[in-house]
Amino acid sequence: MIPAILTGVRLHMKQASRNPFDLSGVIVWPILYASIAYYLLDAKNEPRLLLSASLGAAVMLMWSMVVIASSGALEQQRWQGTLELVVAAPTPLTAVIGPICIAGALVGAYAIGATLIWGALLFDVPVRVEQPLAFAVAIPACALAIGMLGLIMAATFVLYRASFHLGIAMQYPVWIVSGLLVPISFLPSFVRPLSWVLAPTWGFRAIQEAALGGTPWPDIGMCLVLSLVYLAIGGSCLIAFEYIARARGSLRLT
Amino acid sequence: MSFTVERGDLFGLLGPNGAGKTTMIKILTTLLLPTAGSARVLGFDVRRQARRIRGRVGYVFGGDRGLYDRLSALDNLRYFADLYRVAPRDRRARIDSLLELVELKGRERERVETYSRGMKQRLHIARGLLHDPEILFLDEPTIGLDPLGARELRETIAALHEAGKTILLTTHYMYEADALCERIAVIANGSFVATGTPADLKAVVGDNTIVEIETFGIREETIERLRKIPGVKGVGVETRDQAQVLLVQSAVGADVVRALLNELADVVTGKVVTREPTLEDAYVELVRSA
Repeated sequence: MIPAILTGVRLHMKQASRNPFDLSGVIVWPILYASIAYYLLDAKNEPRLLLSASLGAAVMLMWSMVVIASSGALEQQRWQGTLELVVAAPTPLTAVIGPICIAGALVGAYAIGATLIWGALLFDVPVRVEQPLAFAVAIPACALAIGMLGLIMAATFVLYRASFHLGIAMQYPVWIVSGLLVPISFLPSFVRPLSWVLAPTWGFRAIQEAALGGTPWPDIGMCLVLSLVYLAIGGSCLIAFEYIARARGSLRLT
Repeated sequence: MSFTVERGDLFGLLGPNGAGKTTMIKILTTLLLPTAGSARVLGFDVRRQARRIRGRVGYVFGGDRGLYDRLSALDNLRYFADLYRVAPRDRRARIDSLLELVELKGRERERVETYSRGMKQRLHIARGLLHDPEILFLDEPTIGLDPLGARELRETIAALHEAGKTILLTTHYMYEADALCERIAVIANGSFVATGTPADLKAVVGDNTIVEIETFGIREETIERLRKIPGVKGVGVETRDQAQVLLVQSAVGADVVRALLNELADVVTGKVVTREPTLEDAYVELVRSA
């Protein structure tokens, strides 16, 4: 199963890199998100707040990359007629869909760096990391957790044909509930438990704490715990949804 | 609907569009669940033991879908080799031998999107054979191929069969089924209407002679009159471009051509051919009478 996962990650990144539309998005989006971070808060004289907003925008971008990669890739697999063939293979579907989400998260990890660099170049956002080691660990931990959250969503994409639209629709709610657009303390109290089970909440906190100085390790730990929980839920959902898709005959688009 | 395919057989599944051929193959390759009844592949139940079946069968469908177009043929084969758990040490040799078999050696590093339809179809065959499956399911593999490409693919299928591979083939091309299959089942209206060797099926119309008459603008009442001519056993009509071709079955030795042409005196007619029955004639007769 490991070779299938590694080859899958590599080939899905390769496939995406050969799509001019995807490629242009990877270049343009970080600039866009760096601009959002700068203009979202009127904090030009508060460098720490500006960096925090930039990091929030970068995690927003990572979530977008994962959700679009997983939903878009699955829709593309339906059109290509490859979804049936990967389902027909003896490798569990988790090891087929998971690499698509991980590939999206790796592109998202790059996007964090690109957003910060563009922020620094265009808007003088200070990029000063207080705990470099924790920061270096927090980014892949965040990418893994968000990638595995994408796996749960991807399971629904196996079931529904309009998967890409569902993916687009899931971007904003997660941005808001995870505190990436506004602090979680601004949200109604009944929404907060939902924030706690979403990977972007902890991933953002881990990266933010590492960059600004704080206690990032518990948040990194939460990212890893959530990754395992998401993997278990996503894997189970994929088994169940694959069975339903076989019963409905919905693996093929046409 | 019940049938058994023996090891090493090349078994053909024929039937009109919507008869259920592809559905049957998808059930047997575990992509669909049967709504009723049961099916076993190599002794494994398709409903409860899907994963055990998947590693032992290969599935190839016709057309140019089912490949990662922006990747090379080599990348496609590497990925599917991993998905089908081909041991890493064997992977390279296996891919090389399959590229040789389907005559894509030397082109394997080119992107699939630059391939012709025939090349894509041959790549599909290679993909389906990566894990050396015990059974190969071929769902209309030559559809849309040019005559040369289709012939090459048929030669590949025949070579696989000679090598001992069990193959289940669906096709709309009767000459293809006649040339390749040892046994054939004809599906119509959701059930088997005949099963046997191509010779068995031809025997359905075997004691007949077929008269093909090209006509233009023939009416239904004229066809009814033709059916009543002594010695005529049946009349079918096929549309070919602008023409309606009458396929008239008559008893061997019965000279019905003159009588037919007399009845068609007020119809524009073209070529008239008398010939032995083919598998296609048998198929048409079986499906019509179902």
